[in-house]
Amino acid sequence: MKRVFALSLILVSMFFRPTFTQAGEQTDSTNIPVESRMGLTYLCSADTIILTATLSIRKGDLTLGLENAPVEFTASNGTTINQLGKAKTDQEGNAVFKVLVSGLPSDQDGLVSFLAKFAGTEKYPEAEASFIAKPAKIKLFFNIEDSTRMMKVTVTQKNEKGEEIPIGKETVHVYVPRLFSLLKIGEISLEEDGTGTLEFPKEIVGDTLGNLMVIAKIEEHDQFGFVQGQNVINWGVHKQYYTAEVPSRELWTPIAPLWMIITLLIMLAGVWAHYVYAVYELVMIKRLSKKDKPLT
Amino acid sequence: MELLRKDPLREFAPQLERTSIQGYLWIVFLLAVIGLGIYAFFSQVFYGHEVTGMRDNVVWGVYIVNFIFFMGISYAGALISGTLHLFKTAWRKPIIRMAEFITIIALLIGPCFILLCIGRLDKLHYLVIFGRIQSPITWDVIAISTDIFGCFIFLYLSVLRDLAKLRDYELLQLPNWRKKLYKLLALGYTGTPEQKQRLNRASDIMAAMVIAIAIIVYSVLAWIFSVTLQPGWHSTIFGPYFVIAAVYSGSAVLILCMWLFRRIYHLEEYITKKHFVAVGVIMLVLAAFFGYFTFSDYLTKWYGSEKNDEMLIQLLFKEFYWPFIISNYIGVLLPLIVVGIAKFRTITNITITAVVVIIALWLNRYIIVVPTLESPYLPIQDSRPEWLNYTATWVEWSLTAAGVAVFALLFTLASKFITIVPVSGLHGEEQNEEAIV
Repeated sequence: MKRVFALSLILVSMFFRPTFTQAGEQTDSTNIPVESRMGLTYLCSADTIILTATLSIRKGDLTLGLENAPVEFTASNGTTINQLGKAKTDQEGNAVFKVLVSGLPSDQDGLVSFLAKFAGTEKYPEAEASFIAKPAKIKLFFNIEDSTRMMKVTVTQKNEKGEEIPIGKETVHVYVPRLFSLLKIGEISLEEDGTGTLEFPKEIVGDTLGNLMVIAKIEEHDQFGFVQGQNVINWGVHKQYYTAEVPSRELWTPIAPLWMIITLLIMLAGVWAHYVYAVYELVMIKRLSKKDKPLT
Repeated sequence: MELLRKDPLREFAPQLERTSIQGYLWIVFLLAVIGLGIYAFFSQVFYGHEVTGMRDNVVWGVYIVNFIFFMGISYAGALISGTLHLFKTAWRKPIIRMAEFITIIALLIGPCFILLCIGRLDKLHYLVIFGRIQSPITWDVIAISTDIFGCFIFLYLSVLRDLAKLRDYELLQLPNWRKKLYKLLALGYTGTPEQKQRLNRASDIMAAMVIAIAIIVYSVLAWIFSVTLQPGWHSTIFGPYFVIAAVYSGSAVLILCMWLFRRIYHLEEYITKKHFVAVGVIMLVLAAFFGYFTFSDYLTKWYGSEKNDEMLIQLLFKEFYWPFIISNYIGVLLPLIVVGIAKFRTITNITITAVVVIIALWLNRYIIVVPTLESPYLPIQDSRPEWLNYTATWVEWSLTAAGVAVFALLFTLASKFITIVPVSGLHGEEQNEEAIV
């Protein structure tokens, strides 16, 4: 018996090892240093630049997004610094700021340096992140050539005079949004004049009117960062909601397939019939006891 | 010959009549562990599943592992007791009731762990109201409830003769309410030829039924995993693999119970080395089958080199290295060596092997559930990095310990209500059972 107790105690103590801590639980120790981390993403879409700063706090092994923290955004060309504005982080630690391309200070190469800064608090140290990019623009056009649906993109950047000049020899990725993510439908290699074409696929499903949102992107470019353009065209296959004339017996419909119901009923009937028989025998044993005399 | 002269009921009477100080302390200890589990349960109810390690990616953890484990040993108990009963195995008597108790008690505890996985227990009845026959979860609900009824009937049929003996044994010093309860439950069984015939017939039928139901129910549990397309789960051999793993773990639990009750109630005369070796050989055969199924499953996944299967196998050999080695190598090879080689075949060695097998099989279920969920086909958007990996919290461990404690407590209480070794027919007296009164 003593050994049983000893064994039980050992087993219980194993369950309560301090290494098993609650996920997301913060160990309340002031000795653990707190570190702030900032990330900055850049997206140039049409005439707008979307800056997303992600602020997270690292304490020990735990990393969490910091909510409701003010993040200051600035743009500079090395000499002039423009205060763009402030945004507060959401529960994931993301602060999103949109700014128009026009009026941003750029250097002689057209590059703009963006900075996102969290000034810090008593509890959390300051953090900052920067991103340098040259604003660019993607435009999408659709036309039918010899009964073939063609999509054309033009990619431009602004020169020192503010004129749009083409960007050539780059790759543009084309997507359509689906339920969970973007579906890639093709790639376009740009000509010297900053244009490129793609034969539009025929089998993409749109909404009930056939409308499709088409997105063209330059991704992770050294100079231009992320550039995006989008347009809507009714070249999609019209979505049709299927309504069966009679109730369908598929796995995903409210009514189960007939074979499944029949199999289940046969199995359950077979099993429960035996149960009932066993209980019947027990009832008969009880009745026999009233009828028969004990053998003693 | 000496055994035949003894009255087994007189010998087992102290077990039913009295509880030692150590026995009470043991019960208090178990109640304390259960109390901790209740506290953990209320923490989970008040604060939600946030207090567990389960998150968006890994939505199943230790609870489902415990569910599979307890259901497994339950089905094993049913299969072993049903088979031994049907084949009228000569040595079965001293251990068959333990197998039957394992069946029922584990069957009562297992589904409780599923309830712990459910976030909104207040909407539990929706499972019945809006249940879809097409859903494997519904199959499982139907199968488990059917199994519980069947196993209760089988257990009742098995203990009926002993209940009659306890009712009629006048020297037994028990409170009146217990004597009345024995009388009520014995159904007036006196062992007349017709009663005996009816009881034997019902027992044989239910023995066959519990074997069939155990196989079906555990296969249904396996299908919950294998009908999904998840890497590591989508396997056609998952049904038989689960059944074999269940019986394997159950045979190990039976050996552990045999060892414990042999020590506690001094049953050395009844549960002998012969019984340990016999169940040990069953465990050995099942170890070989389990090893074969495991190898077959992982070989086809590895050779196929399907991207996600490959990722999963890499994960198993890196982050889950020791659980994988213990469950699939040590858990398979140890019984083969210890039971297979005659000079290692002692009661202590077989029991230690059984404990290792129990741990190995629990880990086996863990590495089936968790690594797959940690490598999903579709990455969940906006998921925090710390949510991708699963670590059980104190709440889950406390409830696991409480589950084991409830198992031990119910086993202890059951052994206080009816003898852990069947007293009827123990010395081959089934043939002249008329003499029970």
